Amino acid sequence: MSDSDKRTISLPVLGEVSRRTALKAGGATLGLAAFAAAVSPLAGLRGRLSAQELMQRHYKELSADDKAKIFERLENEAKERYGADVKIKDPKAIPGVRYGYAINLSVCNGNGACMEACHRENNHDRSTNQSYIRVFEMPIGTTDFKHGDSTYTHDVPREGKYYLPVQCFQCENPPCVDVCPVEATWQEEDGIVVVDYNWCIGCRYCQAACPYHARRFNWKEPQIPAEEVNPDQGYLSNRIRPAGVVEKCHFCLHRTREGRQPACLEACPTGARIFGNLLDPESEIRTVLRTKRVFVLKEELGARPTLFYFFD
Amino acid sequence: MMRGRVLIPIVVLAALLLSIGLVRFMTSAGASPRSEFLAATMSTEAVPDETPRWLVEISLPDGRPRVVTDRVDSMGRAVTVSCASCHSNFDANTARRSSDEPPMAFHQGLTFQHGNLSCVTCHNPDDYNALRLADGTRIEYRDVMLSCAQCHAPQARDYERGLHGGMTGFWDRTKGPQKRKSCIDCHDPHAPKFPSMTPTFKPLDRFLEPTGPGD
Amino acid sequence: MAIQAQQARPGHLVSYPRFLWRSLVMATDGSLAFYAWMTMLTAVALVGANAWANQVVDGMIVTNMTDHVSWGLYIANFTFMVGVAAGGVMMVIPGYLYRNKEMHDVVIIGELLAIAAIVMCLLFVTVDLGRPDRFWHLIPGLGRFNFPISMLTWDVIVLNGYLLLNLHICGYLLYIRYLGKKPEPRWYVPFVMISIVWAVSIHTVTAFLFSGLGGRPFWKSALLAPQFLASAFVAGPAFLILTMFVLRRVGVAISDRPIQLLVQIIRVTVLINLLMLGSKLFTEFYAGGSYTKHTTYLFFGWEGHNALVPWIWTAIALNLIAAVLFLLPAAMRSARVVAIACVLAFVGLWIEKGMGLIVPGFVPSTLSEMVEYVPNLTEWQVSAGIWAFGLMIYTVALKIAIPIMRGEERFIPPAESDPAETIHDPPADQPHAGEAPVTDQTQADPPESDSGGESGRGP
Repeated sequence: MSDSDKRTISLPVLGEVSRRTALKAGGATLGLAAFAAAVSPLAGLRGRLSAQELMQRHYKELSADDKAKIFERLENEAKERYGADVKIKDPKAIPGVRYGYAINLSVCNGNGACMEACHRENNHDRSTNQSYIRVFEMPIGTTDFKHGDSTYTHDVPREGKYYLPVQCFQCENPPCVDVCPVEATWQEEDGIVVVDYNWCIGCRYCQAACPYHARRFNWKEPQIPAEEVNPDQGYLSNRIRPAGVVEKCHFCLHRTREGRQPACLEACPTGARIFGNLLDPESEIRTVLRTKRVFVLKEELGARPTLFYFFD
Repeated sequence: MMRGRVLIPIVVLAALLLSIGLVRFMTSAGASPRSEFLAATMSTEAVPDETPRWLVEISLPDGRPRVVTDRVDSMGRAVTVSCASCHSNFDANTARRSSDEPPMAFHQGLTFQHGNLSCVTCHNPDDYNALRLADGTRIEYRDVMLSCAQCHAPQARDYERGLHGGMTGFWDRTKGPQKRKSCIDCHDPHAPKFPSMTPTFKPLDRFLEPTGPGD
Repeated sequence: MAIQAQQARPGHLVSYPRFLWRSLVMATDGSLAFYAWMTMLTAVALVGANAWANQVVDGMIVTNMTDHVSWGLYIANFTFMVGVAAGGVMMVIPGYLYRNKEMHDVVIIGELLAIAAIVMCLLFVTVDLGRPDRFWHLIPGLGRFNFPISMLTWDVIVLNGYLLLNLHICGYLLYIRYLGKKPEPRWYVPFVMISIVWAVSIHTVTAFLFSGLGGRPFWKSALLAPQFLASAFVAGPAFLILTMFVLRRVGVAISDRPIQLLVQIIRVTVLINLLMLGSKLFTEFYAGGSYTKHTTYLFFGWEGHNALVPWIWTAIALNLIAAVLFLLPAAMRSARVVAIACVLAFVGLWIEKGMGLIVPGFVPSTLSEMVEYVPNLTEWQVSAGIWAFGLMIYTVALKIAIPIMRGEERFIPPAESDPAETIHDPPADQPHAGEAPVTDQTQADPPESDSGGESGRGP
């Protein structure tokens, strides 16, 4: 070994080089080439990831001008990738409004129309039937989800069962917001916890922190046929999400901040859902809180959900 | 002049604070004890504003009470006839009750499962184009919810408060109208139990099969 | 004296690049076995890089993680490697704090392990990100750093801080030794002291990542951080003992004393770890209740789902056997017993503090849905790739560090050196200190009696 080290070979330009150095250089070149080949699939990102998107600032740091440009870019992307003409808006929280939701479990019959309405309204991936709502069939006499089932397909309602739709509760003290390392998710003035889909790094810590399975991760790019894309889109709500980011129920803020009801409420054929402004004493939601015995899930955790359940 | 300019905002501010305090006092005086999570949301009451509100549109029945017959028209639609078209000529069997065996020939398509009522509990035997209340007061068909409310008071109360029956449109009626259904849109008055439904949509989010890559 | 010597020498502008160059040369020189080892690691690392590249392009759908089990093998490995990184401190404490001379001679092995392990940790977090292209959002100043609210930002700080601390300590010591000088305590002893506290913090903060989640009863335990530390102080020293055995095999003389000291440390920590495990199991199972379902799932399966049951019992068995072996008197004499015990303990804890800790936190889900998780090929490839890369770093670092620390590699001022010498690369595992021109400094500080900063600090 030691002898061969001292042997030299002659190379053009470089001149006399020890054989070992030459071998090392060759090995390093080979290694680099192999590395380049190994990560070559990354070239597939070209055209899918623009420089503007890479450099985009956090939502709260964007000027009106920035936003206009970004919305336009996103609208173009929706046209390119989904063939859909969409309009992205950014309605602001209405001053003096804090949203509350209530679900009458005596009335809910588990038909799941809310899940489907959410799926369509919010441009969820079609193949996974993604939805922010999950409806559980529970035996009467318990609120322990251990006995629940979200996969039932039989006719509803069934004797001895009640039905419990679960979605984001827009907690007053949201554990998911605290854990986010990059402030990609926050609570708005009206209580809605939103996600900046262009800032989220996809670490999924918020999914681990949520006690209610309210958050979803985009494991892949959502697939939606052009004609099914909902063109009425909000930047912080139902615009088509990129892959690799977390999303969640936003109480349909693109609707509710215009005074309209959320999609799941309108779709409910049983009238089990009641939505409104918690700060308005005359509102339906306040009437529920005043006249019904409401409860929230896992109250002991202290997250203080603003979606309430009641039986009447 | 200067003093006037300074005074006006102060007076306005004082009035505002006073009215807020008053409203808070009034709303808190009658309030029942609340749990912690509710108290927090309600600590900042908004002052009820006087913005005009849109109306609530309720889909009330119009025309006359009709009944589905066993006939279909040339388009395959069920033929309905108004109750009065027959019962103006002959009296109904007022003794018949919901729990009895299927009704007579012409009503064979009709499911009648509504407590222990008889037809004339709601239908007005003096005028089958109208209804009647328990005390015999005649009411128009479009006021059918009054009839329902006689027995279903809690539901009627909740309906009135917007807690029963659902709605579409605007939660904020300063921005747009609300649409509500009437009782008989969801509950067939002859068989008011909400029908059984088949769930059409289930989550398929890589649910119980974590093994296959890429599925 | 040191200052005078420095003045007589060429400046750092000459010697530091030379140090880096020599490091590169040493790192790439070795026996056939070394090349085979590095080639194998490179191959595995490349497979991992390729799998990761595909994951970035196709989305995380190519892993087996789901909305129900949203963290898997990557975070499991991350958590475990934090422990290994922290475990290196068990050489640093006796080496520096108690001035154990023999430990001090080999303490760099532990510090370099910390570097390699932290690099692996950072890589494991990176491959777990859905949007690695937005990594910069995490950089304070550039992005939006949710400090001090988010525990993950604490983790970013402590892990990178620990990496920098160890890079500085190792880099400084190696460079100074390469120059043939005595390290000045003020340039590294304070950092060593900080790194001891810091080592505890990295694993505590990582445990707080989990135990701070109120909605996950499996993790929400005050015992989690102490448990992490106890297991770290088994797994880390176990790996270091194995490293020293391997080094002996390739011809590096290492005395029995540091190994015996580490065995003695493990004898304590392995029992503490088992005690805490038992304590946790008692608390979970004696009273029962709905929060026990995760532990039940882990140990006994739940409603017919038992993917983790074989894993955890394997881990328990390995840990118990390892504990017994460590406690045997033979552990102080027989290298074989210690080696076996170390392997068993390392693998056992990798399961227990990896998959056995992360996955049951998610199963059943917060809404008690039963979705199991077993890593798929992509995740194994990526993880193996990171392990291979980490081992490459560790191997190379040791390859550079050991000859320098033993005084077998010294700076040759350019004037004195023959140009041909620059490409004269002796195999690192063959001591040849005598060949290097010896300066006054190296004579005053011969490798045999070298004990680093302590001798300089002593009265």
